Amino acid sequence: MNYTKEIQEIAKKLFDEQKIDVFIGYQKSKVSKNQIPFAFKNADEIGSLVFDKQSSHNLVNYLKFEHSKNKKAAIIVKGCDSRSLNLCITENQVKRENLYVIGICCEGIDNENGEKEERCKNCVFPDPALSDTILGNPKGKIAYTPDPEMLEMNNKSMEEKQEFWDKIFGSCIRCNACRHSCPLCYCDKCVIDQTDSTYHHASTSKANASMALLTWSLHLAGRCVDCRNCEKACPQNLPLHLLHKQNEAVIYDNFQNHLAGVNQNDKGAFYKFSYDDPDDFIL
Amino acid sequence: MTNSETLQETSTEKETTWEPVIVGFLCNWCSYAGSDLTGTSRLQYPANIRIIRVPCSSRIDPVFIIKALQSHADGVLISGCHPGDCHYITGNYFARRRFLVTKQLLSFIGIEDERVQYSWVSAAEGAKFAKVVEKVTEGVKKLGPLKFLKREDLL
Repeated sequence: MNYTKEIQEIAKKLFDEQKIDVFIGYQKSKVSKNQIPFAFKNADEIGSLVFDKQSSHNLVNYLKFEHSKNKKAAIIVKGCDSRSLNLCITENQVKRENLYVIGICCEGIDNENGEKEERCKNCVFPDPALSDTILGNPKGKIAYTPDPEMLEMNNKSMEEKQEFWDKIFGSCIRCNACRHSCPLCYCDKCVIDQTDSTYHHASTSKANASMALLTWSLHLAGRCVDCRNCEKACPQNLPLHLLHKQNEAVIYDNFQNHLAGVNQNDKGAFYKFSYDDPDDFIL
Repeated sequence: MTNSETLQETSTEKETTWEPVIVGFLCNWCSYAGSDLTGTSRLQYPANIRIIRVPCSSRIDPVFIIKALQSHADGVLISGCHPGDCHYITGNYFARRRFLVTKQLLSFIGIEDERVQYSWVSAAEGAKFAKVVEKVTEGVKKLGPLKFLKREDLL
């Protein structure tokens, strides 16, 4: 899966025809084996653009920053990224007419050790949900399988769960990098950033960290596309995907096999309801 | 019996009989009126519940539940109109979705299912409300006090 040449050609053409102001792609990193996101501003810079198995980040996140907001932009999306882009468009954060989307039929991304990433082993959606140009061969539908780590966690006793999450919440340093790196967290003032609201406080105590992480994961419930930008950004290497995967599995099982952003104009799970939603848990 | 003796007796009694604190979020239009009916019909129910009136069950942000559990409560009861009876037409349908996910998420991090309960109680179901409160209180009493993720500044 190396489309460097093809993408460079497309990018050069777009810049020459003056169709875009900025091209959001990847560049080789000097520190990490993974590629780093980079906003290319003109055709001369395009020579350093790369795309291969190490292009891990979800670039949709970078559409919300100054350099590309309300500008004509081109972007590379893999299957998972395209779902988050779909949601950003439905939630009026990005204008589709300002975008040129290069969709990649993803074959799985490698982590820094050269092994396949965990999330890619259970990938449900390798093909881009929206694109102007498609690269690679579409794979079609893949059946949904819940995350094995999450299932294992669910089978533990309450004491074991409490012990596990006590450690996780205790080691969160509240840097908010998870929120900042998420393509779907675009609010100018985020609730978990509040320094002294009724519910959220800027402190690293377990109670405040758990409050922030649980609120954040519930705001992303039914919207998270499992790109794991948050986990890559986390300096403490917390398994944040467990919370998202748990919500995703519950929503998939109970709400008509809802998967976030799979179709265009799809809304998050909490923006709609069905009269047949399960209520056997209600007294 | 001297004063100090009686004081000692009461303090030891306090330690042995622990009573749970349950926060109840009741929707203004159905459940709050239902709990009112329980009172006016002179039905008895455990006094462990502290009722907070909210405009609709969909007003309840999951944050309220987490904050209640972290602050002092050992359990939370949320009650709203039956599906189809919502004063705001669809509020409780949206709430039902959120509740299911919240409940499962809380049990995922280690807060027992019995601590966070939901119910539909209409304005005519005073007897049902008494039963629901009894059931929730019993469940929480069996589990004992919640010590997980409490706010240290309040303890």
